[in-house]
Amino acid sequence: MSFKESVDIAVIGAGPAGLAAAIEAAKAKARVVVFDENLSPGGQLFKQIHKFFGSREHLAGTRGYRIGEMLLKEASEAGVEIRLGTVVYGVFEPLTLGLVNGDKSWACSARAIVVATGAMENTMAFPGWTLPGVMGAGAAQTMVNIHRVLPGRKVLMVGSGNVGLIVTYQLLQAGAEVAAIVEAADKIGGYGVHASKVRRAGVPILLSHTVKEAYGNGQVEGATVVKLDRQWHPIPGTERSFDVDTICVAVGLSPLAELLWMMGVEFTWDGRLGGHVPLHDEDMRTTMEGVYVAGDVTGIEEASSAMEEGRLAGIAAAEHLGYLDPAEALRRKEAVRARLDALRSGPFGQARKEAKLRLVEEFRRKYAGAGEKATVSAAGGAGGATGAAPEASNAAPASKVASPQEPEARGVARTGYPSPEELSASPGVPSMERLKKGKVAVIECVQEIPCNPCEEACPHGAIKVGTPITNLPALDAEKCVGCGLCIPKCPGLAIFTVDLSLPGEEALVELPWEYLPLPEKGQLVQVLNREGIPVGRGRVTAVRKSPKFDKTVVLQVRVPKELAMEVRAISRDGQRPS
Amino acid sequence: MASSKESVIICRCREVTEQEVLDAIEDGATTITGVKRRTHAGMGLCQGKGCSRLVARLISQKTGKPLKDVLPATVRPPVRPVKLSALAEGDD
Repeated sequence: MSFKESVDIAVIGAGPAGLAAAIEAAKAKARVVVFDENLSPGGQLFKQIHKFFGSREHLAGTRGYRIGEMLLKEASEAGVEIRLGTVVYGVFEPLTLGLVNGDKSWACSARAIVVATGAMENTMAFPGWTLPGVMGAGAAQTMVNIHRVLPGRKVLMVGSGNVGLIVTYQLLQAGAEVAAIVEAADKIGGYGVHASKVRRAGVPILLSHTVKEAYGNGQVEGATVVKLDRQWHPIPGTERSFDVDTICVAVGLSPLAELLWMMGVEFTWDGRLGGHVPLHDEDMRTTMEGVYVAGDVTGIEEASSAMEEGRLAGIAAAEHLGYLDPAEALRRKEAVRARLDALRSGPFGQARKEAKLRLVEEFRRKYAGAGEKATVSAAGGAGGATGAAPEASNAAPASKVASPQEPEARGVARTGYPSPEELSASPGVPSMERLKKGKVAVIECVQEIPCNPCEEACPHGAIKVGTPITNLPALDAEKCVGCGLCIPKCPGLAIFTVDLSLPGEEALVELPWEYLPLPEKGQLVQVLNREGIPVGRGRVTAVRKSPKFDKTVVLQVRVPKELAMEVRAISRDGQRPS
Repeated sequence: MASSKESVIICRCREVTEQEVLDAIEDGATTITGVKRRTHAGMGLCQGKGCSRLVARLISQKTGKPLKDVLPATVRPPVRPVKLSALAEGDD
């Protein structure tokens, strides 16, 4: 290597964690360069076309790719250099990166590095899994959302965590059919609102099922699924076949930590975080001086927490180099930690919060008082690990009305849509008395997840979430005028309006819609219930669009009165009923 | 189609079957590196990204070793395929 450059802070990975780290360090006036092997920056952000959760400070309600654009703009304004198409093929002492871009290779000497290399999809081996047509759900998402190519026409999705549920929805949006989602556990792994979107599109979720084999002549032509007993063993005789040409595997992610493993940073093991992960303290500092980590490489979470961890690492690295005095650094770090804590609240975040606390505690126990000169241990993981989650699913905590470990038999964590009991227990669902008085919002949000854009969306102050932001939204039915402005703002697409006050036998239902082609005003449509079952016919009376809705359209449909609290979708195929 | 361990591939890059991995463990491999040395699983283009977790689970299932004790294989640079022409200087 004949050429060597010098930087203050080298960030490896230009995804949400890496960019956020670079921005914070550059704001503190450090010289920061970000390296990414891909030709485009943003990591996973640009294929996340759905609206994110959280609160305003987490950019809730914003689609992932727009967050990516915002981060790039902020990075550019802060003076961050991003080098794309550049592979960090190794990190050598004393913090020298070996770099390659095409035919050029060189070295970069850094005073601190932030490793934000993200994660990769897990594989699942079953007979036929090497047939063309079997792919990771994330790979299918990239093909569809970035490259605008359908991986196939009819898909079987394996795994009901958020990735499986979201990619199913996006495959439907792209025009594919999803025959079913199979989930090995006895409950749905991801958010109820994500499940509800695909259930009302008619996609079945088969719990306690897994894929037994894929078959076909040189490519996937079908798949057989089988039911599992409580010991995860296939039950003979329960096999069912699906005519599919694509099988998407959404069975979890694993950190891409090979650079760290090579460097000799100490690891620990936690099944909740994806397996072997680098040990770090609350400043995202590893056991190697000057080496920080952030994002999915430290444990599988989501883009929002990756950004916050990135900010922590960037602030800490800048402080380490003297660009921030400790008091100012602490002030900034505390602000980030508060936001990170909010993201990890609620039943879904609890496991990750505990896992991260345990990890930081392990670091503290081993290295407390060691200060900056933390001992570099021999490469190898140690430390107490909790039990591994079974490979085929993510463990799912229950909705609010059930006990923490055992979701209700009829609840959203089992069926994918809220049960009558969950709806009547939800403070966002108005009484029948109020429904009869006139147009009113119906907020079908029944699980505690950190999310509150609905609160700000209401111009009449009729929706309250408060703190913690995992509270279920409460509807003040007297203040609510049924304007429906909340409908497009809910990232979970879980808000509707119902008007039971019309004369005659019909009611009006407004629902969020993100499929093309849009129906036309006046069009007769099949109307579907929460399970995606057609329950009758309706007429589209309005198609409400606005740039403020950010591509979520609000459809107004006139339906028979008795169906007003059942109809939550129309059929997507554009067919007019006979 | 028989769903036998002979036909299920574990390492796609080097086409190593489940049976071959199990045989390697039977032969005494108790680590991912041990399986790699006997079967070449993990030596292909993806360098174990596809198969390491699968091999780890098989080791754990067959030997009783907890997953947390099945460590990743040794990693040496380069962590991605790199052309020699990029690393070489001059005309050699």
